[in-house]
Amino acid sequence: MTLQAPGIRIDGASLRFGPLAVFDQLDLTVEGGRWTCLLGPSGVGKTSLLRLVAGLPAEGASVAGSVRADDGGGLQDRIAYMAQRDLLMPWASVLDNVLIGPRLRGALKGAARKTYRARAMELLDRVGLADRANAMPSELSGGMRQRTALARTLLEDRPIVLMDEPFSALDALSRYRLQDLAVELLGGRTVLLITHDPLEALRVADRVEVLFGTPARLAQPAITPTGPAPRATDGAEIVRLHQALLNRLAGGQAHPIPGREAAE
Amino acid sequence: MSAAVLLRPVILTFGLLSLWQAVVWISGAPPYILPGPLAVGEVLIAKPALLLRHGAVTAAEIVMGLTLGALFGAISALTLSASRPARRWMMPVLVISQALPVFALAPMLTLWLGYGMASKVAMATLIIYFPVTSAFYDGLRRTEPGWLDLARTMGAGRFAVLRYVRLPAALPAFGSGLRVAAAVAPIGAVVGEWVGSSAGLGYLMLNANARMQVSTMFAALVVLAAFSLILFFVIDRGVKRLVRWQPDA
Amino acid sequence: MIVRLFTLTVLMAAFIMGAAPRGAMAQEKLTLLLDWFINPDHAPLIVAQEGGYFARHGLDVEMLEPADPNDPPKLVAAGKADLAVSYQPQLHIQVAADLPLARIATLVATPLNSLVVLEDGPIREIADLKGKTIGYSVGGFETALLGAMLAQADLTIDDVTLVNVNFSLSPSLISGQVDAVIGAFRNFELNQMDIVGEPGRAFYPEEHGVPAYDELIVVARNDRMDDPRFKAFLRAVEEATTFVINHPEESWQMFIGRDAELDDELNRRAWADTLPRLALRPAALDRGRYQRFGAFMKASGLVDVTPPIDGYARDIEP
Repeated sequence: MTLQAPGIRIDGASLRFGPLAVFDQLDLTVEGGRWTCLLGPSGVGKTSLLRLVAGLPAEGASVAGSVRADDGGGLQDRIAYMAQRDLLMPWASVLDNVLIGPRLRGALKGAARKTYRARAMELLDRVGLADRANAMPSELSGGMRQRTALARTLLEDRPIVLMDEPFSALDALSRYRLQDLAVELLGGRTVLLITHDPLEALRVADRVEVLFGTPARLAQPAITPTGPAPRATDGAEIVRLHQALLNRLAGGQAHPIPGREAAE
Repeated sequence: MSAAVLLRPVILTFGLLSLWQAVVWISGAPPYILPGPLAVGEVLIAKPALLLRHGAVTAAEIVMGLTLGALFGAISALTLSASRPARRWMMPVLVISQALPVFALAPMLTLWLGYGMASKVAMATLIIYFPVTSAFYDGLRRTEPGWLDLARTMGAGRFAVLRYVRLPAALPAFGSGLRVAAAVAPIGAVVGEWVGSSAGLGYLMLNANARMQVSTMFAALVVLAAFSLILFFVIDRGVKRLVRWQPDA
Repeated sequence: MIVRLFTLTVLMAAFIMGAAPRGAMAQEKLTLLLDWFINPDHAPLIVAQEGGYFARHGLDVEMLEPADPNDPPKLVAAGKADLAVSYQPQLHIQVAADLPLARIATLVATPLNSLVVLEDGPIREIADLKGKTIGYSVGGFETALLGAMLAQADLTIDDVTLVNVNFSLSPSLISGQVDAVIGAFRNFELNQMDIVGEPGRAFYPEEHGVPAYDELIVVARNDRMDDPRFKAFLRAVEEATTFVINHPEESWQMFIGRDAELDDELNRRAWADTLPRLALRPAALDRGRYQRFGAFMKASGLVDVTPPIDGYARDIEP
């Protein structure tokens, strides 16, 4: 990516279901070109926040606040979305699933069609599924299906990628491998990843935000692991930050990070 | 494995026939009320041409009714799914079409469309229209929200979503509707024939009954049942192929 | 239609559950199945009940209306009812199919069945039916009637198209779906068509080559001919018939007294047309008539055998 991917600015976001406020006046900055992870207990509102950014409707809720790209352009058409479930369509082959974006936009026509197909095959090769291009989703394992979803996300070639616990349904080894693959392939894009696994966040993220409480708010300051991702999980810093994160999740408050004097 | 597959229908048939004969024996019903399977079998062997001739007429009515009903049903379901005004106007009509017993409409249809095949095809079409429309519309409505979310983030327009997501996702539901239709269409055709006809299994049943040829009447019934079974199997197979990707179809 | 199958199912259920017990009462119970909904053809029966004739002869008669005229004789043959109103031509067919039935009384002593066309239609004589469509209700012997009538005009059944219109005779004729109908009762359909302003013209089978027969009869199982209730029944019906002939207006009041719904223009006209056709001697049997009609049915190919008359038509000793 030659151009810097835009960041996301969320200002004063509020989401209410009747009298219950999921979050209220929430501000969040997601840095452009960097990987931000959002952690938090179940039900705190992580998915709702992600859906807000993605422009997906919140059924039955009233929404307020602004969500913008920080380079002035809109967010429309610059977002790729990956959910916890692979969302592969069972009636289409792996290749056709990867191509679903252009197909939905009516772009699979004429010369562009060949280009897209070639690109899709290339991406499938990069995720290691080139030999399964014609397989049906029901024939694949969970890990393979998420890899297909990753290829689909990459085909969209959008600067901003939103992911909602994409690896949590996989076994530990597949998860590990997929984290590495995602970091490798999504380099340079603005990524907002929701996860419930603190270790995963520390492996892949440049910045880890924790959402807690009702209404939800962000723990300050955010935690920023050092070193390039994907990180090994046995380093001293990681171990320390892991504990800090667990404390934050358990206690729900911002705890000072041991070993750091200055606030961010 | 294949021996067992063949054996099952044989055992079933034999079982049903035995049950039939048992009912005849236990109830002591005379042959002009309930003939036994042997008497009916005799008729099947003695009058194959007659049964086939009338069977072909009813079969044609059923198949045409099924085709038309499925077509109208699919179009209606798509229309309902696409347009809110359509929903407001069409839903009551749909429900009424189901609530009205077909038997009440039969004499009217016969007066309008005559005593030929048209009124029977119309009956069969009517009787399956609601099940097919309702099943397909339900399938279109209940698309997996995750897919819809994905499509939305990809910037898909409504028509593209319908064509590439809702429609394929709703095919299993459509298939269910078709299965019901296959089971029910024969009723429409036969009731249409009972009201007025000059050919068909329903016609044959009426005439045979009036002439006290009760075994012939039951033979016509058996032929109708056999055809209905075959029809159901064909539709079932067709549906399974259509939704090959469905894990448990 | 569906009522037929339903009735059949109920019949079979009744069989499985066994015959209903009958207790000894002061009045002897008798089940009489009518051939159709109550209409002026049943005048003697209705008057016999409403006028107390059955009661006077020690009978408690239960009259039931079916929707399918084919069922009552089967029920009587199967022993599930005592008497049924039926038709002489059907009796021949039923007996040939081994139903153990016998006629014990006549209610309407002339044919009522007619070939009907529109009064101002193109069909002026039987020969005009060539190539035309004829609707019929489910009689079972319309081909015999038509065959004989057409033969008089040197036509055969193959010269016409037969369509089963079930019981929708007048509508199908009036709407032009068919050119003629057979199976229309001259005292009914003709009046019905007149009332709606589309009068019809009838050709009477007995005037066109078909032997005369009893349209409405009462049948019972042929092994119950000594049942004393039947003798009482016949006495009551004869007395009621006499009353109807002597006091037509009063009888009409009794008829509509049974059910106010019966009081309509059609029934009123049909009543007037039916009275002259009632059997004045219900119990009496014209053996020659049954013999001739049996031979006619056999010659038409509708029955294979003509059993001896005594087996299926009786004049029970008083």
